[in-house]
Amino acid sequence: MCFKNLPIEFDAAGNATLKPGVANPYSYVETPAPTPIEDDPARMRELFARNGAVRRVDFDPVTRVAGALAFHTVVDLENRQVMETASMATLFRGYEIILKGRDPRDAIFISSRACGVCGGVHANTSALACEMAFGIHPPPLGITARNIMQAVEYLYDHPIHLSLLAGPDFSEPAVRETNPEIWERALSTRTTGRAKHGYEYMAELMTDLTPLTGKLYLEGLYYTRLAREAYVLIGGKYPHPQTVVPGGVSTTIDASDLNEIMLRVIKYFDYGRKTAAIWDDLAAFFYEVNPKYRQIGTRPKSMIEPGQWDDPYSFDGTYQNCDDWGRRRWAPPGVIVDGQLVTTSLQMLNAGVEEFVEHAFYEEWTSGDNPRFPTDPAGNPLSPWHPWNKETIPKPTATSWKEKYSWSTAPRWDRQAMETGAYSRIWAAAQTGTGYRESNHIHSTGHSIQVNLPKAALPNEPIEWKVPETWGAFERNRARAYCILYTAAIAYDNLLLAYDLIRKGGPDAKMSTPYKIPKDHRMGVGLWGAGRGYLTHHMEMDNGVIENYQILTPSTWMASPKDPFGNPGPYEEAVLATPLLENYEKPEDFKGIDVLRAIRSFDPCMPCTTHLHMDDRTITREIISCACGAEGPHEH
Amino acid sequence: MRVLVCGVGYRFLRDNAVGVWVTDTLAPQASNGIEFEDLGYHPVGFTQNLSERPPYDRIVFVGSADRGREPGTITTLRYDHVLPEATEIQERVADSVTGTISLDNLVIVAEAFKALPEDVWIVEIEPADETWGDGFSPTIEAKLPEIMETVWSLTKP
Repeated sequence: MCFKNLPIEFDAAGNATLKPGVANPYSYVETPAPTPIEDDPARMRELFARNGAVRRVDFDPVTRVAGALAFHTVVDLENRQVMETASMATLFRGYEIILKGRDPRDAIFISSRACGVCGGVHANTSALACEMAFGIHPPPLGITARNIMQAVEYLYDHPIHLSLLAGPDFSEPAVRETNPEIWERALSTRTTGRAKHGYEYMAELMTDLTPLTGKLYLEGLYYTRLAREAYVLIGGKYPHPQTVVPGGVSTTIDASDLNEIMLRVIKYFDYGRKTAAIWDDLAAFFYEVNPKYRQIGTRPKSMIEPGQWDDPYSFDGTYQNCDDWGRRRWAPPGVIVDGQLVTTSLQMLNAGVEEFVEHAFYEEWTSGDNPRFPTDPAGNPLSPWHPWNKETIPKPTATSWKEKYSWSTAPRWDRQAMETGAYSRIWAAAQTGTGYRESNHIHSTGHSIQVNLPKAALPNEPIEWKVPETWGAFERNRARAYCILYTAAIAYDNLLLAYDLIRKGGPDAKMSTPYKIPKDHRMGVGLWGAGRGYLTHHMEMDNGVIENYQILTPSTWMASPKDPFGNPGPYEEAVLATPLLENYEKPEDFKGIDVLRAIRSFDPCMPCTTHLHMDDRTITREIISCACGAEGPHEH
Repeated sequence: MRVLVCGVGYRFLRDNAVGVWVTDTLAPQASNGIEFEDLGYHPVGFTQNLSERPPYDRIVFVGSADRGREPGTITTLRYDHVLPEATEIQERVADSVTGTISLDNLVIVAEAFKALPEDVWIVEIEPADETWGDGFSPTIEAKLPEIMETVWSLTKP
């Protein structure tokens, strides 16, 4: 029984049914959000009288994240606590509206534009939704080629985050500015991973994390290039591939293409080992300096992970069989609640999802009864707030911390806030143990993942990521670092498989399968884990065009505002629990580095680069005025 | 003389697409010395690509930039290679690798990593409409011949 809060129970055969005899079983009574401090003058006066160090600190925009995120806090600088948080997705995505009435194949190319980092995974997930609706699936080499593309996409994504977005928070300039005493200690603290990363002292490592000039920063840039080069050998373009189509991939590949990709993937063997050692050292050092660093960004160990990298001989694209093919993925699906894996069923993962809009700039689309789809295609109950039942009805209003304050909905699984990312992937794989797609290079122990790849320049010493005892910003980053080698192993597995399929030839070596667009009513869903975690595309089509299309991204889960049950979203929850450990003597010196470390550890990605006009309001990306020097401007 | 003309912007965002429209349209006129490129991809990737090519004598960037001028204003600038503060450069890199395409990001990131030649020109067009959709606003539509002429003239020594 994986649900505690939804009105779903299971019969003796394990089939999910609604609890009998309950009228409007999904209905709920909203818990009013607490009154924001600044809306409560009496409390404001009391706080300031008691403690003059309480102040509002807004991070707007949160820099070094993808897209538009603003974060509101009220902090008590004397007691070093965060008292109030609100996470704001400040721009509207609107792809759901753009896609209505279009040919479903358009969704692959249009939805890819939802993100400038993970456009490939949107295309892939959209293709999966189309395939389910069309009743087709790619041949084995087509699946394998997609697996390779998706693996190298993550080999682009993870170095971006670790080197360019989160890494600078632990660099020499950041640490010297916010905690000079830690920098002093770093100068004399030896690392433990020198054999892998080459740094004798922590200070040397932190210096090389320095933006623009640090070797690790520049090395991260280089590795983003290698991955893109590998991707375009099949995808044609990146981040918006041209070759992902329903039924497979619209290009051919041969051993020469695979060689080109392999040459690049192998370079991640050493880079993965090195990066894991770097983040091991960073975590160990900060924990040693002050154990409270374990609490930066902490929240319950509750995560959702659809899994990815399909087994080419198990995947049939159907919803009816998705539990089976899902469990055969290289990275298996899973929902983790308070650290425990509660299900690996994709159908239960899907059935548990709801999106709420009480604190988002959307209109409610249901009163909670008579959902359009009371069950999924396999007969499992669906909530009226499930994405297949959802309508996107934007309703911009003034921002109110108590009412509406974000363009992100509040997704919940079993009415609980979930986080998702590279770490949920490795966590689910670690706890699944045996049963999923076997690999010669990855071994799940039930509590850890061991990765053992051939020797490159560094020795082929296996690395092991263990499910952590405490959960927070450092552990998110550490897990993501381990995912570089984990992902490289999956890319390597799939490359070897692709060589084999091409060598054998025959129908399994085809890249795509023919199809016709059905004209009757169909449902489809792409369930996949993006580099940054959970991604689903729910589609309903009729008469050959899209009736409804709903994209649910990792950042929607994690940047979510409060839900109707009074629970904060993951960023909000994690920052509320974050102690303020930076060194400041007066409030004006406060930089908020610990808050930013907490937020950035989730690898926020706020797809936002599209403008959209709706009704009388134009929502545009903020234009930054020109910072480039110029001479002799001529205007005409 | 080797000249690279780069069209910057997002397709299907009406006037924001003017840069890539210019390079699409001029591409058939590419010759041995003049190249046209769609820079609808991220600036770090462009910078890395530049580093592997033979050096250009001149690079011309063309795209829309909302700076509060009269819509349709065409501004031609010769870049003076002055960079903003390191913090801003760092933010531009982060913005770039996460997918934001803009003239400012391109020029600043490429300059920060020393990928640009001395002779760099920027042709900015003040947009009238950057909402979702194909085609240009009437204001920009009327300016297209002038924009083309401006860009083409910069391909000459």
